[in-house]
Amino acid sequence: MDQERRAQWLRGVLDLCVLALLRHRESYGYELAQSLDSAGIGPVQGGTLYPVLLRLQRTGLVTAQWREGAAGPARKYYRITPAGIETLRRTAVDWTAFADGVGAILREVQTR
Amino acid sequence: MNHHGWLDALASELRRHGIDPELSRHVVSEAASHLRESGEPPLAVFGSPAAYAAAVAESLGAGAAPAGRPGGVGHPLGGPVRGTARAGRPAPGPVRLDVRGIRKRYRRRPVLTGVDLTVRAGEIAAVVGANGSGKSTFLRICAGLTSPDAGQVRVYGSLGYCPQEGGTCDFLYPEEHFLLVGAGRGMSRRAARAAGRAQAAALDWDPAGRIQARHLSGGTRQKLNLVLAGLGEPDVLLLDEPYQGFDRGSYLDFWQQLWRWRAAGKAIVVVTHLLNQLDRVDTVLDLTPAREMAS
Repeated sequence: MDQERRAQWLRGVLDLCVLALLRHRESYGYELAQSLDSAGIGPVQGGTLYPVLLRLQRTGLVTAQWREGAAGPARKYYRITPAGIETLRRTAVDWTAFADGVGAILREVQTR
Repeated sequence: MNHHGWLDALASELRRHGIDPELSRHVVSEAASHLRESGEPPLAVFGSPAAYAAAVAESLGAGAAPAGRPGGVGHPLGGPVRGTARAGRPAPGPVRLDVRGIRKRYRRRPVLTGVDLTVRAGEIAAVVGANGSGKSTFLRICAGLTSPDAGQVRVYGSLGYCPQEGGTCDFLYPEEHFLLVGAGRGMSRRAARAAGRAQAAALDWDPAGRIQARHLSGGTRQKLNLVLAGLGEPDVLLLDEPYQGFDRGSYLDFWQQLWRWRAAGKAIVVVTHLLNQLDRVDTVLDLTPAREMAS
């Protein structure tokens, strides 16, 4: 895939994907990066991911807390807030409508 | 570069961006923690310390704009991490500088042939062009220091001007400049000194100390000039290549100062021959004569 285009797409949805990953349990940066990668939206570098987390934190959609792991190193754990859940719910609907529209148009191209 | 070197550089770049020290420590620790777990080289994961610090600063700054929007209309998270000049910023305000049909010739040589420029509050206009294309002349005309042969300049509000050279008094200390220029703009001694120190700090310069302006290095003298231009919060800032003699860090600080001024609603005109910032300004005025462009 064209990496630049992928990066552009990602920019529009990365915050939503992060919120969605945090929906059921808290997580930390490196784990989120791995989850995003294994979900197939490709490697997301720290330089892209952490600024998004900072913005989510700043806008009150996630909270963060440093904790020492029992064995591992200290990590900053992120947890979604009620406002984050509300935003995720609303914006996920918008995204689906948008992505369906794009999909419909592109399917026409493919079947020709 | 090993991790420590990279992390140290990140810490100083964050400081340069004026990030709160506490938050800055968290950002560095989190990066360190990520690098430990991933085992990947910092440059591959985060890019250069300067670029990552800029992304962090931008994510923090961008958060402020949506918060001001009632009810978070649309996509509340908005704004790309690295966006265009307009991303995450309020719409520009009223016109602050309106320049129409400026003409100027020196002896027989036409320098400016009908130049127009409009700059609104919260906008940066970059003036570019080859040496001798009239960039400084144009700025002096905007500042009212040189008369045009034809045309009109309207300034709506107060004006700050930072000349390419000169503008400081050889035998005065930096802080005496603050008081002198501050007095001219109706500021108390205390307010002028405080404002001068704050703006100097933003340029990573400590103006205290008894060094006469003539003994300051060229770069530091330009910082003084820049601070003076911004004293008293003028509505319009005219800056004539005010970063000559700056090292790379100071040059970044200078542009950060410009973004802050823009965010504060100032109308800014900056002469520059360095093109790498042009994608981050609102207007580019190219004074290169048409006949040279054609050749």
